[in-house]
Order: sequence, then structure tokens, then C-alpha cells
Amino acid sequence: MSDVPAAATGLKLVDFLGEANMHCRLIYLLAACALAAPLTVRAQAAGQQNSAKNGVNGSSDTQPMTKVPKGVILVKGAWSSASDSVTPLPEDGNVTNNVFDDRYFGITWALPPDWTEKYKGPPPSDSGRYVLAEIATAETFKGPARGSILITADDMFFTPFPAANSAEFIDYTKDNLQADYKIERSPKQISIAGRPFTYFAYWSPSAELHWYILATQIRCHTVEVVLSSSNTKLLDALMQELNRITFSANESLTGEEAVPVCIKDYSRDENVIARVDPVFSERRFNAIPIRIIIDKAGKVKHIHFLSAFPEQAKAITDALGQWRFRPYLRNGEPVEVETGILFGYTPRPTISVAQDPEHK
Amino acid sequence: MFTKAKFASGLASAMIFLAGAAFAQQDPGVQSANRGTGATIINPSNDPNGFTAFFEDGQTRFAAVEDVSALPNNGLGPRFNSNSCISCHAQPASGGSGAAVNPQFEFASNGVASGNTTPSFITANGPTREARFPFFFNSNGSVNTSAPNGGVEDLFTVSGRTDRGTCTSLAQPNFTAAENAGNIIFRIPTPTFGAGLVENLDDSTLLTNQQANLKNSFGISGTFNHNGNDGTITRFGWKAQNKSLHIFTGEAYNVEMGISNLLFQQDRPLPEEELATGLPASCLNLTGTGYPEDASNPNATPNAAVLDDVSAFANFMRFLAPPPPGPVVLNGATVPAATIAAGKAIFSSIGCATCHNPSPGNTQVSNLVPALSKQPVPAYSDFEIHHMGNGFADNVSQGGAGGDQFRTAPLWGLGQRIFLDHDGRDLNLNAAIQNHGSPGSEASAVITNYDNLNSTQKQELLDFLRSL
Repeated sequence: MSDVPAAATGLKLVDFLGEANMHCRLIYLLAACALAAPLTVRAQAAGQQNSAKNGVNGSSDTQPMTKVPKGVILVKGAWSSASDSVTPLPEDGNVTNNVFDDRYFGITWALPPDWTEKYKGPPPSDSGRYVLAEIATAETFKGPARGSILITADDMFFTPFPAANSAEFIDYTKDNLQADYKIERSPKQISIAGRPFTYFAYWSPSAELHWYILATQIRCHTVEVVLSSSNTKLLDALMQELNRITFSANESLTGEEAVPVCIKDYSRDENVIARVDPVFSERRFNAIPIRIIIDKAGKVKHIHFLSAFPEQAKAITDALGQWRFRPYLRNGEPVEVETGILFGYTPRPTISVAQDPEHK
Repeated sequence: MFTKAKFASGLASAMIFLAGAAFAQQDPGVQSANRGTGATIINPSNDPNGFTAFFEDGQTRFAAVEDVSALPNNGLGPRFNSNSCISCHAQPASGGSGAAVNPQFEFASNGVASGNTTPSFITANGPTREARFPFFFNSNGSVNTSAPNGGVEDLFTVSGRTDRGTCTSLAQPNFTAAENAGNIIFRIPTPTFGAGLVENLDDSTLLTNQQANLKNSFGISGTFNHNGNDGTITRFGWKAQNKSLHIFTGEAYNVEMGISNLLFQQDRPLPEEELATGLPASCLNLTGTGYPEDASNPNATPNAAVLDDVSAFANFMRFLAPPPPGPVVLNGATVPAATIAAGKAIFSSIGCATCHNPSPGNTQVSNLVPALSKQPVPAYSDFEIHHMGNGFADNVSQGGAGGDQFRTAPLWGLGQRIFLDHDGRDLNLNAAIQNHGSPGSEASAVITNYDNLNSTQKQELLDFLRSL
């Protein structure tokens, strides 16, 4: 990786591919990243990748551009990135040929005809919120009313909500619904495509819009499918369409289909054999939520920065390469573990129900 | 409920449709009635510290026209965007945003910026603007995207003015080259009404409000910009990059008018000059009085006159009342109050209020005037920064805000604002709303909700916005 010029990453990646793939992972870097087994090497790759994504790498040998491309975010603040380019990330969800696919969550959904992705979502937030897809009725849609589908995820490691799982997450949403809305259906458990979901619905008398919220828990995230329209028949039909979703991420599986076990706070002291704190070169004031995958030997195999400045990602990558964890055992056998760590500025406090202010 | 207002609105919409208009709903446009905007928030009968006099003094200085060396108001340049605060902050009253007629368009011909070329993006009836180059240029004229700039490129120089002194050959930035390279972005003046309330919001209030904002089903999750030194929340400027009105004002006086002051003590070179050898010596100390050009006046009377200009400006803005809401006139008829109320409910329901909070909370106790104490701040902003996607991205980083992050623009006073968005690209509310949706924007789902409304509901929403 070290032989890939920063200039090349800075220009070819960000300027011409950046819009198509928010995470800017170069195809021509893919093979090199996959071969770069030691984390320290991957860390260098990540550093270059991050610099490239920021479009600001301080390199003096960057080839000059004649024109700044329109509509491309070259100068990024705190943004998402990863230590390698092969491990699926939550935000990599995509709609291709009218099929929504997110490898991290193992979701595949062939969208109904005449529904189309409207926009790519923003990068993950420092509170762990993702917009996986924004889907809306296409111009060719002939139905009774327009509608939209928003697929989001909230990382339960970092959410400030007082919720331990998706059902509690929805309960909290319902309990704090703003006054403009009226509850149509209180939360209840249903099954969609063989998976447990919490279903909840509300509507706005003023906007005459209805929202159906369907939430399930995948890899310690609350994944929400939010259906909205003025026409409830349209939404009911969409509910049926959801049964066409396939879910493949299953922590209970083994072998190639297995995903890591997700455990909150696995980085607490009793599980960490060796720890080196990152040293940041610049004083900043942002929260840096990261997810890591710990391999069976207790080494950090993969780092996903939900939100970090490039130099922060580099420092954390360098530090985590030196961490060693106690391997997690399931049925006596070590398995991969996914957990979250929050670096950076004092995180926002978790909301306590008692102190929760009324939404204004 | 089918109201008369809805019927009337629907009738108007139908007529417009028959006439072939593109939108069934219509921006009522800039409201011209005098709503009393620009008054002070201070109640003169409850002003124990006597700040009313400071407000009035600041208001006078805010309107003063600056020259390069001639007293009483000197220090202009050597680079500048305008020669008075009010020239940019005029609509609908002193302290506001840009006016319908852009004074910058006349500067090259009326003596303010003699000898300068008016940039193509400065037009007679376009937005009053400042320009920035997101990236530095290489010596061969190409753009170097690995070298972020983002600083203000002042439009004019004093070199053609009669009072230029020794500064005879200071060139303007090459705006034509920047435009050709797509390496230029614009900002319009932010209105400052109610700014004292914003300044007096405690961080804890904003943080609490942030938690409340997170409870949405629209995928929205903002963050705050912070002061790089002490880490507290900053809140002024298009990217919430400034902490206080003093900083905001001191920087503007230095950057926009070229006047050094107690907060920014040097004449400011362009970013590219700063990386080279700075301003030429012939263009320094043009007042002949030394630096800072704006200073306090210990021997002056009355008390308010002792202050430096920056402090006086800050006091003026600090004590400006929030812009009062008012009735809306659409096609010659006053929009019923029930329609405005319906629009407000829709604004909240579809998620606009998730970021554009009607009030993020109450102010802390003020040591200045009771009018700033424990007051709601009806700004329609959370003062967070949000990813606004490719559509709004300007590739300028300020503090912790990246190239696509912007402060939620406060909507109070929107009814009388002419130019919309951070760069004044839109005159029409419909367009401004639609431009909130783009790849990577946190607002896209809300804009989809807007699209899912019927025309009557959209009209009610637009009517409400022009009531602010």
C-alpha cells in the first residue's frame, strides 16, 4: 500500500469516484488491501485512504486539476472510513437494478416496480445513525398517492437513547412522539420474512401523512424501515412487499456464513490484555465512535470509523494494532467478536427517561 | 377539515394551473409590510445598566461609511467587500441580510472601488456576496485540490481610489480564472436580528435540545461546531464557526472591510498572499495612525463613545430584537391565520422542525439586560451543523464543519428575506426547499415528505414560512 501515491488516491479516488461510493474504496487498491495482512500495514492504507477521502492530504506532488468537479464533496470533516476495503460496512447499502442490498446487514430486497432510490444518504453520524437507503415512488408510478421508504440503522453501542434493543428503541420513539402525531398502532411484534420485527404506526392529521415504522435488530443495530404516504392502502401493500426481503446475517451460524458476535463494551478492562491509547496530533472536539472486529486470537482484525477526522483514524489505527483481547469463547471455541469503542471528545450523555426533555 | 382558506388556496392553485404555471403552489414572496423589524429588544423602562444608549450608538456606527484615511471613519482596505456594515446587512432593516439592490455593483463606478473590475457574479439586483476559493491554485494556474483554501477573497482593492495613498497597484483576485476552474463559492450576509438571544444560549441547553432532535424517523442526526481553543459550542456564521458576536464582528470588520481592530490587529492579506509575503508594504498603515485602525476612545463622551467600533457593532446586534412574525399577503390577499397555523403544523409534522426548531430552548440569565434573560429563542434553528449533501456542498471547512456541513439557518425573518440559501442562489422558497434534498443530505427524507404533500398543504407551508 505504501507505494500508492497519495496524489493518486487524492485525485482519482475522491474526484471521480467519490460521489458514487461514499467510502471511496479504490478498486485498484482492493487486492493490495486484501493481501496486507498485518494491521500496521492496513493502517497505513487506511491513513492514505482517509487522506484521499478528505481530499486534503498535504501532499505537494499532487497532479494539478484544471477544473474542480461540481457536486463532489472533496473537503470532508469527520467522516466514515475503515481499515480495509473488503469487510462490509453498514453504510455500503446500495440499490442496483432496483434491488436494495446491504452486505453488512445481510439484507436483500427486490423493490416493487416503480419505486426507485432517490438519494444516497449522509455519512454515519457520531451518534451512530445511518441512512441506508432513501427510496421513493418513481415518476412512472401510477398508484393512488406518492410514498417513500427510508431504511435507517442506529448503532445500539452508541445511541444516546435508553434502549438496549430494537423493541425498546421503538418504545422510546413512541413514548416521545411529538405532539403533532397521533398513534395509529401501538408497538407490537410481528414477523416479516421470517424475522421478528417491532411494528408501530403513527400519522399526522395536519400533513395527512402516515408513517409505518418496522424495526428489527441486526448485529446490535436497530434497523428501521420507515414507510410513509398519505395512502394507507399503499403502505399496507408495501408491508406485504417487505416479506420479499431476505436476511442473511446470522450470528448463530458458523463457517463462511457467520458474522461476528456483537457484544457491547467488550473492550472493558477484564477483556483487554494489552492496551495502548491513541495519541492525537490535533486537539478536536468530536466524538469518534468506532466498531472493531476482534479475531479468534484476540487481535483487532477490522476497524470501522463511523465518524473521524483522517488523522484521528490514523492514530487510532496505530494504537489498536497493539491491543490484545481475551478471545471470546462460544461453546468452548473462540469466535470473532464485534464491539464498539468511543474515542474522542466527551460523548453526549445517554438520555435517561426521567430527565428526557419534551421535544419542542 | 375543508376550510374556506383551503378552498381559496385551492381555487388560486387551480387558476395558476390553468395558466400553465409549473408549480401548483406559490411562494408568497418577500413580504413588504413593515413588521417593525430592526427595533431593539431592550425595554427602555427596564434597562438598569443603560444599554439602550449603547444599542443606539452601535446602530449609528453600523451605518457609517468608511474611507481609507479620511476622518472620522477610516481604515478601509487595502482589500474589502464593502465600505459599511449596513451596505450588506440592510434587508428589511439595519442588521439584516442583503438588499434587493446590490451596492457592490456600483462600487467600480461610484468611487468606492474606482479602477476595479466588477466581478461577473456581482449584479445590480443579485445577492450581495463574498467569494471564496475552496482550493489554492498552483503557480501554473491549475487548481490544487490537495491544498484547501476556503478563505475570503475580497472583491475590491483601494488602489483606484483617490485616498489610496501609496497603495497604487494592488490587484484584485483573478475571479475569472476561478470561475472558469469552478473554484469559487459564494456566501451572503447572515441577518443578525435576535443575535443576542442566540449568543446567550447555554451549551447545556443546546446539548439537551440536540438529544430531543435525535428522536426522529427521518435519519437526521446533527452535531455541533466547536471553538478550537476551549471546545465550547460555536454558533454564528453559515457554518456556526464563530463563538460570539464580538468575534463575529471583529472578523467581519477585518475581512469584509479591511479594518484592523482589537480582535484582528493586522490588515488582512488574501489567503494566497498570506502564504507568500503578505500585503505589500506600500499598502500597509494607509491611515497613517498605526494599528489597530479601530480602537477604543478613552477620552470620549458619552460612555458609549468610549467603545471601539467592534464592541459597538456587537452591542447593536446583541440588542436587536428577533424579527417579528407578521401577516402574509399572497396575490393581493391576506392569508388567513388558520392557513398559517396549518402550515406551521405541517412544517413540524414532515420533519422541517427537526432541525429548524421553533426554539432550541431558553436563554441563560443575562447580566446585560432583562430582555435577554430566560427568554425563548424563536430562531427556527438547532444551531447544529448538518450534512447537506452534494447540492449545497461548498468544499469549505471551518472549524469542525466539513465541506458539506452547514449550520441550520435560522428561519426567523424569512418572510422578508430576498435571497435564500448560504450563497443566495434561490429567490423562491420552493426552489430553496427542494435544494435541501441531494445525495448525502440529512434533509432528503424530509424533502420527500414535502413532495408527498398535496398542493394545498405545500401552499400552507409556504405561507407559514413567509409569516416568519
